[in-house]
Amino acid sequence: MKTIYVDNNATTQVAPEVYRAMVPFLTEQYFNPSSMYAPAQKTANALAAARARIAQHFGGVRPDEIVFTSCATESNNMGIQGAAKASPNRRHVITTSVEHPAVLEVCKDLQRRGYEVTFLPVDRQGNLDLADFIRALRPDTLLVSIMHANNETGVIFPVEQLARIAKETDPNIVFHSDATQSVGKLPIDLAIDMQYIDMLSFSGHKLHAPKGVGGLFVRRGAPVRPFLIGGHQESGRRGGTENVASIVALAAAMDLAAERHAEDETRIRAMRDRLEAELAARIPAIEINGAGAARMPNTSNIACHYVEGEGMLYQLDAEGICASSGSACTSGSLEPSHVLTALGVPFTAVHGSIRFSFSRYNTEEEVDRIIEVFPRVVANLRNLSPYWDQAANAPRGDAGVMIQKTHSG
Amino acid sequence: MAWQYSEKTKQLFMDAVHGKPGTHLGEIENPDGIGEHGSLACGDALRFTFRVKRHETDPTRDVITDARYLTFGCTSAIAASEALCMIIEQGRYTPIQALSVRNDDIVEFLEGLPEQKIHCSVMGAEALEAAVFNWAQRRGVDLARLGVDIHAAEQEEGRIVCKCFSLSEPYIRRKIKELNLRTIADITGAIKAGGACMSCHHTPGGLQDLLNETWSNEKKTSDLRILPNAIPPVAPLAERPDPAAAGGSGLSPYQFAKRVEKAFDEYIRPMIQRDGGDVEIIDIKDRLVYCRLAGACADCAGAGKTLKFLVERHLKDSVDEQIRVIQV
Repeated sequence: MKTIYVDNNATTQVAPEVYRAMVPFLTEQYFNPSSMYAPAQKTANALAAARARIAQHFGGVRPDEIVFTSCATESNNMGIQGAAKASPNRRHVITTSVEHPAVLEVCKDLQRRGYEVTFLPVDRQGNLDLADFIRALRPDTLLVSIMHANNETGVIFPVEQLARIAKETDPNIVFHSDATQSVGKLPIDLAIDMQYIDMLSFSGHKLHAPKGVGGLFVRRGAPVRPFLIGGHQESGRRGGTENVASIVALAAAMDLAAERHAEDETRIRAMRDRLEAELAARIPAIEINGAGAARMPNTSNIACHYVEGEGMLYQLDAEGICASSGSACTSGSLEPSHVLTALGVPFTAVHGSIRFSFSRYNTEEEVDRIIEVFPRVVANLRNLSPYWDQAANAPRGDAGVMIQKTHSG
Repeated sequence: MAWQYSEKTKQLFMDAVHGKPGTHLGEIENPDGIGEHGSLACGDALRFTFRVKRHETDPTRDVITDARYLTFGCTSAIAASEALCMIIEQGRYTPIQALSVRNDDIVEFLEGLPEQKIHCSVMGAEALEAAVFNWAQRRGVDLARLGVDIHAAEQEEGRIVCKCFSLSEPYIRRKIKELNLRTIADITGAIKAGGACMSCHHTPGGLQDLLNETWSNEKKTSDLRILPNAIPPVAPLAERPDPAAAGGSGLSPYQFAKRVEKAFDEYIRPMIQRDGGDVEIIDIKDRLVYCRLAGACADCAGAGKTLKFLVERHLKDSVDEQIRVIQV
């Protein structure tokens, strides 16, 4: 059975072009780029070239504004904790309630250390309220950390606008954005459109580079202290021998993404939209989370009322389809997704949400297969559900009463 | 996290969702016993129904012949429901005998369950108990007089300890003893209590206190007691500039806002409206005025300049030289 991989917001396959570009740096050119002998110079040059190309892809920023890390989680830790270390007199942080844990948990850790943190809410579509954001800005605000695109719903926040408002209010506020889901998929111009953003996190393995490499854009002059100490690398901002092969791969992946952007975007969006339209026509009582907001073209988060996500994933897996869910049962904790909860997805559906995320390697045939399989998967579980009337193919008339009764505590 | 289910669990789940003959999906019409446990909000819920072969004279000798379930829940919840029905039908139990089926039996039947899924088996046992209680009422059997300890009513009574899953103190206390739960992690694994917001872990009367009280005879409470969390000292905030002093105009924030609004209403808005646009104040913070242009101006490339040169200039002249306008 052929695997259908539609979980590209979790990770992506390494592109063949990217793999070919990185291999020489695992084999012949394995040298430490900091070494003095001639062969190592070639490795150092490749590293510098990769950095310069990545800086170009961000709208032509300075190469030394790109700091390579091991992953976006490290980038987020470095950005947030580094900003806090650099400005000890400011004690207020603004973030959103739908950030990835790599931001959310770091902010909660600051909270435990005596900082005040504002977690901005989102509406039912996943949008922020600009007035909430403006009200949250304070004279002692140290940092704003707001993601570019949400990993679960694909909803895009207007970070360029938010950063401008923050900086016009107080130029000393540091603005960080976790762009893990958008780099390589949306154009990101840090020189003009996003000129007010101080720091931006990204990751290799979300855009067809390997796992274990990421980066943080740090605008020249932004007050940020290093996080990993212990080496002169990255201009003293991040110690540790550079992961040259993966950095070269990251640059190659960004080249490829830029080259194929127009074509990929159109094709991926068409697949996603067709999937959503076909499923909505075939399955009663579903809704698309974040459909009313600006959204990543590759992400579809579907709330299926009265079913539980894990049972869906398990059946899909048996059909060779890899997707993911915001259900409590699929996470280590018993709590359903904080993102869907923040969106106010009704509790009849928050456990039954499923995410399909596409990449350029998905095909129309795969979409056909999901359209064929998924309605059956949902129907199977609804037939088992005490809240579903199988004959009417609709929620039971007394489902509301049952829910009231069992949820009255 | 990959699935760590036993082959048996996977098989029962797949059989159930595909409606294989011999599975127990469904609901018995006019059942002799019906019981429910869990709720949609908690992520799993089970409705269990059974039919008995009635004994002519002695209801306590009724034998369960058919058991059915409807389950909202994950793979293991559905497999556990299937297992419960199979155990009961195969055993040809009386309802009272069926009460001896415990969650351990379900786990064993499933050839094991991952720790965080144990609650799925507990749910089955709870629904069964509720159904037997219901049967006893219908058949006029006094369970208490028969010495059967039934707890079906306690969910509605008592102080709620775990608010996320609506679990009461008497219920949690009983489960701690019955299932020999020794740590908060055990409790969460078995009955979900404390698994979501976690705020009931160490509060007074919370899970740790219930554990301590239950097991205090075996172990000195002082060994287990968690010190109340010290409240971290809150660092003083950077001093906020006094808005009136900062502006130098001696206006209170309220007076200042009123003056800005007046300038908008009398001069700025009429002028912008003449061009088919509109302007809205989003917020006023110290001397910062946040506005949004609407109507014809909203998509105008020169909107930023309009705000800077028209709105800000006018406000500086008429209200306060230090005003800055920020476009939203």
